[in-house]
Amino acid sequence: MGLLDGRVACITGGTRGIGLAIASAFLDEGASVVINGRDAAKAKRSMDELGAGDRLHFIGGDVKQRSDCEAIVNGTAKHFGRLDILVPNAGGGSDYAPIAQLTDEAMQDALVWSFWHTFWTMRAALNLMIPNNYGRILAMSSVEGKMGKPGISSYVVAKHAINGLVKSAAQEVGTLGITVNALCPGAIETDIMKQDGPGAAQAMGLTYEGLLEVFANDSAVKRLNEVGDVAAVAVLLASDAGSGISGSLISIDGGTSPY
Amino acid sequence: MGKLDGKIACITGGTRSIGRAIAEAYLAEGATVVVNGRDEAKGQQCLKELNAGAKAAFYAGDASLQSTVEGLIDFTISKYGKLDICCLNSGGVQMTAPIAQMSDEEWKLEIDWNLNHVFWGMRRALNHMIPRQYGRIIVTSSVEGKLGKPGIAGYSTTKHAVNGLVKSVAREVGTLGITVNAILPGLIETDIVRETGPSSAIAMGLESYDAMIALFTQESAIKRPNKVEEVAAVAVLMATDGARNMTGCLFPVDGGTMPY
Repeated sequence: MGLLDGRVACITGGTRGIGLAIASAFLDEGASVVINGRDAAKAKRSMDELGAGDRLHFIGGDVKQRSDCEAIVNGTAKHFGRLDILVPNAGGGSDYAPIAQLTDEAMQDALVWSFWHTFWTMRAALNLMIPNNYGRILAMSSVEGKMGKPGISSYVVAKHAINGLVKSAAQEVGTLGITVNALCPGAIETDIMKQDGPGAAQAMGLTYEGLLEVFANDSAVKRLNEVGDVAAVAVLLASDAGSGISGSLISIDGGTSPY
Repeated sequence: MGKLDGKIACITGGTRSIGRAIAEAYLAEGATVVVNGRDEAKGQQCLKELNAGAKAAFYAGDASLQSTVEGLIDFTISKYGKLDICCLNSGGVQMTAPIAQMSDEEWKLEIDWNLNHVFWGMRRALNHMIPRQYGRIIVTSSVEGKLGKPGIAGYSTTKHAVNGLVKSVAREVGTLGITVNAILPGLIETDIVRETGPSSAIAMGLESYDAMIALFTQESAIKRPNKVEEVAAVAVLMATDGARNMTGCLFPVDGGTMPY
């Protein structure tokens, strides 16, 4: 018997990295899962690997678009008949630079990708969850949701904003059987980190390897985190035992964050 | 297959409430558990109810005493050959009061029970865990480890201190395969809260025990006390091999009470 038997989850950016690890862990615990991504071919490869049959469904879409965010959430409820767990997991940034050189577009992109997408999916999900008096929302924040770092302010700002949204939402729906929490992982070498890391490193005046070293050295464990670390916490928060945990910003960062 | 198969754990204050729930959850995941408590008869009753045969043992003693805390750890290692998971869970107040009226005796008891007990336990456990390059130390802190409340300054002070200890020690042993974390529960109506709650309520200037429960729950988002099982689930997660990268973490189980 799984901890999430019969539950239906929706994970944005679920075709790789942390989102895929959460999808896999949720499936292992008996949930049905919708994963989202922009690339249907990539999604198909991930779905073939997971081999979960009818319990896994893909909804394509770009989380930088409000209509796509709403379609992903509402599409999950339509496909599986309900929505119990939302993981707004997608996010990132582009054209990182020190603030003195940061463009409006780069700041906007990070905010839309991480923060607005979390708000859009959360709002749509709450409208489904409130009538059911049940729900779990696990927003993907970051150690950068609690700390600042030079050169990646757009990412830091978006993740801090997510933490504020999570704390407020938790207070709004606390008596309705809905919990809202944020996961704050340390650096993980996911595909997106490999893709965007070199640009972020440059904005921080580092090489990509130097960037990974800075993150590892900030931690107590002196190494990067792994996607499975995050998935294990996600399962706990999504389970019945997580009903008393809300408005929390859970650090999964090898001891990096000060609080 | 359990998530804690083959692991050996000890739990201070493990015969009832949070510690008991952790013991049950660990046993369910395949671990062997030594529970501690002051009362021999209650301990034996607890073992009977755990019904785990040789996979559970009891060690009698007062967790506010260094000899008990160190004795529990030594007993566990000597009986089962090793210690993988050390839960420093015991704690509380006896007769709390506003600071202007706080007695030296109560203050000292709270320091020993809530803070020194954790220090003594960590030190003893680490001297076993460091050479083995493996260990999980899990401290039961509290929402009061991040917040203050009138009338329970000693409790709040010691729980804040414990959080500092956890964060520092996590950094000391971060590369040695040992994690050190704290769980911060909100109010739970444990036996000890029922016993000492009425006097705590008076110290907090409240008219009744029920008023104190209402105050705590109103501060949360979920507007209800937490449950021991919710803490135990987090204690299981922190004890698993998979949680090797979670350390120095102050994990709230408080229904959205604390601001950070």
